[in-house]
Amino acid sequence: MLTFEGQKIQGVEDITAKLTSLPFDKCRHVISTINSQPSTLTGGIVVFVSGSLQLPEEEHHLRYSQMFHLVSTLEGNFFVQNDIFRLNYG
Amino acid sequence: MDPDAVAKAFVDHYYSTFDANRAGLANLYQEGSMLTFEGQKIQGSQNIVAKLTSLPFQQCKHNITTVDCQPSGAGGVLVFVSGTLQLAGEQHALKFSQMFHLMPTPQGSFYVLNDIFRLNYA
Repeated sequence: MLTFEGQKIQGVEDITAKLTSLPFDKCRHVISTINSQPSTLTGGIVVFVSGSLQLPEEEHHLRYSQMFHLVSTLEGNFFVQNDIFRLNYG
Repeated sequence: MDPDAVAKAFVDHYYSTFDANRAGLANLYQEGSMLTFEGQKIQGSQNIVAKLTSLPFQQCKHNITTVDCQPSGAGGVLVFVSGTLQLAGEQHALKFSQMFHLMPTPQGSFYVLNDIFRLNYA
């Protein structure tokens, strides 16, 4: 699941469609902070990120916060089960 | 279980308790609970409440701007909050983001398993 600025989207296809349709071609994320904790009862990891997002031709960076809940796959990798993204205004 | 209802009820209760009496947050955490507060890692209800009650201000008020939530599997709820924190005597409110991972208790309520708090600086 992805919640992007309050909009709820589910499933790889729909999430990818949303992210690829965002109204810019290029962007650059600059990460300020990363915090993580084991989510002991789900066997996963929660990750909390803050940073800024630079869009070409925009003078001011956008600041954002994002959290991920990573859950392990059978192969020993992780996938994003939960993803919530918010711009930090003001 | 409706994650939106759980998240809303939790956020209202958490921040009103925090603003009125931080020691009252103790029953929202358990031994295995983890708090990361501005990068500092703290574990267990006692240590977490000790940290929160020792923060260097007497009075504060949280104003919540956004609450997002999703079910995390295993009956849990992830809650992502942004808002401002007004400290008594300070002219400018601090902006913050916070995430909670809530897990169900046998009694039918929720406790905080994971808690990460960050101020959002300009």
